Amino acid sequence: MQTTKAPKLKTKRSKISYAKWGYIFIAPFFLAYALFHFAPQMLTIYNSFFENYREGLTQVGPNFVGLKNYITLFTPDKNGTIDILKYAGNTIVLWLGCAVPQVVISLMLACFFTSYRLKIRGQQFFKTVIYMPNLIMASAFSMLFYMLFSNVGPVNQLLTQAGWIDAPIDFFNIRFTVRSLISLMNFLMWFGNTTILLMAGIMGIDQSLFEAANIDGATSLQVFFKVTLPLLMPILVYTVITALIGGLQMFDVPQVLTNGLGTPNRSSTTLVMYLNNYLKTSKNYGMSGAISVVIFIITGLLSLVVFKSLTKQEEN
Amino acid sequence: MKKNSADSRKARVMLTLSRVLVYALLIFISILCLFSFYMLIINASRTNADLQGGFKALPQGHFLENLKNAWNDSSINIPRGMLNSFVIAAATAILSTYFSALTAYGLHAYQFKLKRITFLFIMAVMVIPKQVSAAGFVQLCYKLKLTNSYLPLILPGIAAPVVFFYMIQYMKSVLPMEIVEAARVDGSGEFFTFNRIVLPMLKPAISVQLIFTFVESWNNYFLPALLLDKAEMKTVPIMIAQLRAADYSKFDLGKVYMFILLAILPVLLVYIFLSRYIVKGVTAGSVKG
Amino acid sequence: MKKYLALLLAVLMLTAMFAGCASKETTTDTPAASTETAEPAKTEETKSEEPAAEEAPASEEGKVFNIYAWNEEFKGFFEKYYTVPEGVTVNWIITPSADGAYQDKLDEALLNQESASADDKVDLFLAEADYILKYTQSPVTQDITALGVTDFSNTYAYTVQAASDASGVVKGVSFQCCPAALIYRRSIAKDVLGTDDPAEVQEKLNSWEKFNAVAAEAKAKGYLMTASEAATYRVFSNNVTSPWVDENNNLQIDSAIQTWMQQAKDFSDNGYTQDCDIWSDECTAQMFKDGKAMCYFGPAWYFNFSMGNAQDAEKGCFGDWAICEGPQAHFWGGTWLLAPAGTDNPTMVADIMNTFINNEEVCTNLVKNEAQFSNNQKVNELVAQDESYGSDFLGGQNDIALFCDLAKNIKFENNTIYDQLLNEGLQANWREYCKGTVTEDEAMSNFYKYINEKYPTIVTP
Repeated sequence: MQTTKAPKLKTKRSKISYAKWGYIFIAPFFLAYALFHFAPQMLTIYNSFFENYREGLTQVGPNFVGLKNYITLFTPDKNGTIDILKYAGNTIVLWLGCAVPQVVISLMLACFFTSYRLKIRGQQFFKTVIYMPNLIMASAFSMLFYMLFSNVGPVNQLLTQAGWIDAPIDFFNIRFTVRSLISLMNFLMWFGNTTILLMAGIMGIDQSLFEAANIDGATSLQVFFKVTLPLLMPILVYTVITALIGGLQMFDVPQVLTNGLGTPNRSSTTLVMYLNNYLKTSKNYGMSGAISVVIFIITGLLSLVVFKSLTKQEEN
Repeated sequence: MKKNSADSRKARVMLTLSRVLVYALLIFISILCLFSFYMLIINASRTNADLQGGFKALPQGHFLENLKNAWNDSSINIPRGMLNSFVIAAATAILSTYFSALTAYGLHAYQFKLKRITFLFIMAVMVIPKQVSAAGFVQLCYKLKLTNSYLPLILPGIAAPVVFFYMIQYMKSVLPMEIVEAARVDGSGEFFTFNRIVLPMLKPAISVQLIFTFVESWNNYFLPALLLDKAEMKTVPIMIAQLRAADYSKFDLGKVYMFILLAILPVLLVYIFLSRYIVKGVTAGSVKG
Repeated sequence: MKKYLALLLAVLMLTAMFAGCASKETTTDTPAASTETAEPAKTEETKSEEPAAEEAPASEEGKVFNIYAWNEEFKGFFEKYYTVPEGVTVNWIITPSADGAYQDKLDEALLNQESASADDKVDLFLAEADYILKYTQSPVTQDITALGVTDFSNTYAYTVQAASDASGVVKGVSFQCCPAALIYRRSIAKDVLGTDDPAEVQEKLNSWEKFNAVAAEAKAKGYLMTASEAATYRVFSNNVTSPWVDENNNLQIDSAIQTWMQQAKDFSDNGYTQDCDIWSDECTAQMFKDGKAMCYFGPAWYFNFSMGNAQDAEKGCFGDWAICEGPQAHFWGGTWLLAPAGTDNPTMVADIMNTFINNEEVCTNLVKNEAQFSNNQKVNELVAQDESYGSDFLGGQNDIALFCDLAKNIKFENNTIYDQLLNEGLQANWREYCKGTVTEDEAMSNFYKYINEKYPTIVTP
């Protein structure tokens, strides 16, 4: 926008003389990437075309097998289920269960905390409290939840004492309750994080715009949709995409809660739990590499959809 | 006039009502969040045998005893572990945040040929699942003899796509290029502009990412467990796992919960300290002048 | 801002590097310093008393002795009861077992053993019964009889079987023995069987037919036979007559395992037990005074490690327990010391192993001071014969005497490197069928998937 104002000559000069700074500024990132991340990541993709695992301590492979690992992944079992699609479905259901409330509630909280009108007292307290679940290690957090909802845990005791149920509810073996608990835990662990991200985003917005809107007598909703949301869009895009990436890589909570089994009947097995099954014991880099690539493709596609649809809105 | 005051009364009622609702929601959510900490504190005050009996709603009298036992456990050195974890987490957080901001600024502020492809590349590597490459990374460290060193835990943080992505999105929403142009007109060098003018404007984003990267590094177990074996280099999560792996004559769940609780305190302090910097940004207009 | 960042960064990096260097210094400096004087002669004198040890002064062997372990149990015994040769530094590399970290770390070290420098080589490592075969059946471990550990006359046979490879080459020893028994609630046994005397109870529970029949009687009186359908699993799986896979690597489910599967489903359907993991709160909750479960299965360590509820001062039932052999002999747990190939301290490896199985003084200390059931029959039996001994938890019963008898009947046969995970996987997947959340076909199909993911070479139906 401002380039139209600036003299043509200056723009041209700035393009020529500043390009090298771009390269200089991004150099450390790529240096560190090349040193530490490149080889392991490329190996992941490379390995997906190989038979490469351990039988006890004996290394089998790497032998080039072409697309065999992918074919194995997408071969239906004798009941006609394609496992990886089932686990992708599980993962997406679990993700939606936590991501939707996470973004909505976090956006609400971020607006409350930054609102001129509400002027919430005890902000520091609330902001600290909502972030606290993120500080506990996921495994410890899951341990506590397991204790709460076990068949002899307090939740079942209370429900029984209240006379609402006769026999304890087997929370970790009913599809609906397992999935709800996993989503709830993930929500609790991450909504504080998201709130802070969005809050920082709102606070970064040029404050004079809010003042101007207030003087013009805009209602809170008008301010939110006309000022906050459009300017916050880049950060919101970030929030949704990272929530998507994190969600599709959901692992520790369902792993600990269901003891790695994805009970009942593997309905809470996520893609990364599936990957982990291959990776942990037999170091099956072939199959786990192939699953990684599938996760990569699914995440990439979904991110693209999110990115495109949200940035299109932004343009409108 | 009359209508106006009725309106403002209505507005005041609405404001009070929404305040009540907001506080109710905040209190409800806070209870949900604090409940797990309440359980943690209670469990940290119970003996191992008592903990095997399941949940208890009220604290028991063994808090100090567990604290003493955990502190004096010969297999772990809590202050040392905290120091080690702090060094690693702080260094990772600082490197990660600074260089991500630098990279993001490089892509945000400059026009160059490979700009678009670079951005897409970083976005693509952000999407690659970590699990498998973590295993490859461990093998790489063994090959390069980088075990028993903090460097492989700290330096990879320089290339942190997620932090980068946040920084560039944040710049998109708050960093007008006029400011950079203005600095250039004033004769400011590019690094000077970044460090003295751009970074201060990113303070809230930097604080946020310092917190997140610090917490993530502080709670990281798998890589440090495989790369560090000297007792004096071990980090907090390794020590907690070690307490949990103790043999039956020494196993004490009370001690485990106590250490989990202790391990949260430093991160909580870091959070409280850094979150003060998540404040309303300077208005762009004032800097421009 | 930049200045502060740079300063902080520099300080942090320095601390990090310093921490790294400091650790190296401390491990090499301290012990080497005291060796230069007249003391080596003394070492050789004491050494020559050992029959197995060759004339190999420590100076010819490596100066650093690396021991890999997942916790500090053995470290404690080692530091108390083993005299390290002068000039050798013992380095403990302790990696917790959580998340498979211990085996990952150990495997990486063993597979890089050849290229590792002498001071970095693994010299001794610890392994549990559940995965010991992974190491003994691989060339990463070596024959300990060649190193000078040859006398197994006092050890329990199964501990040697467990440490041997397919062709019978012994690769390590255990410093403890873990015979397991049927642990029953005395008061419930009185009510159901009319007696709580170990010999009489054993008479009424010495076969699975009797055990299953008693389960029905217990149920009729309002009790549970066991607190978990998997409580009896280990007894069956320790007594299989065929391994998990045949010679063509086809999965086979032994008849003993099939018997358990039938029993688990029957017990579950009839309400003789609960569908839960043996480690779950649900299972251990039945150990309280108001608990309903009559039988648990476990070795001596189970009393202290898993029966905290029974020992609870208020809600427990201390002294209301006793043990008997039960339907079949079995064992549970135990730690083995294995000799890695390529160690640069072979004499010391052999010396440590001999100390912990054949040195009667050390073994007696383990039993008397450390509450261990040692791997030396002679020593254990001396303690067992002590008339004055009795366990208060077991209502005065002499458990050591019973364990001495049980230990002789334990077998370690038909094992494979797959055992641990296949046993766990079957229990977990079968439990879903017992609960009724899946059909039998689904349970088995999930079990096969579980196997295919973990062990690509096993052929499943």
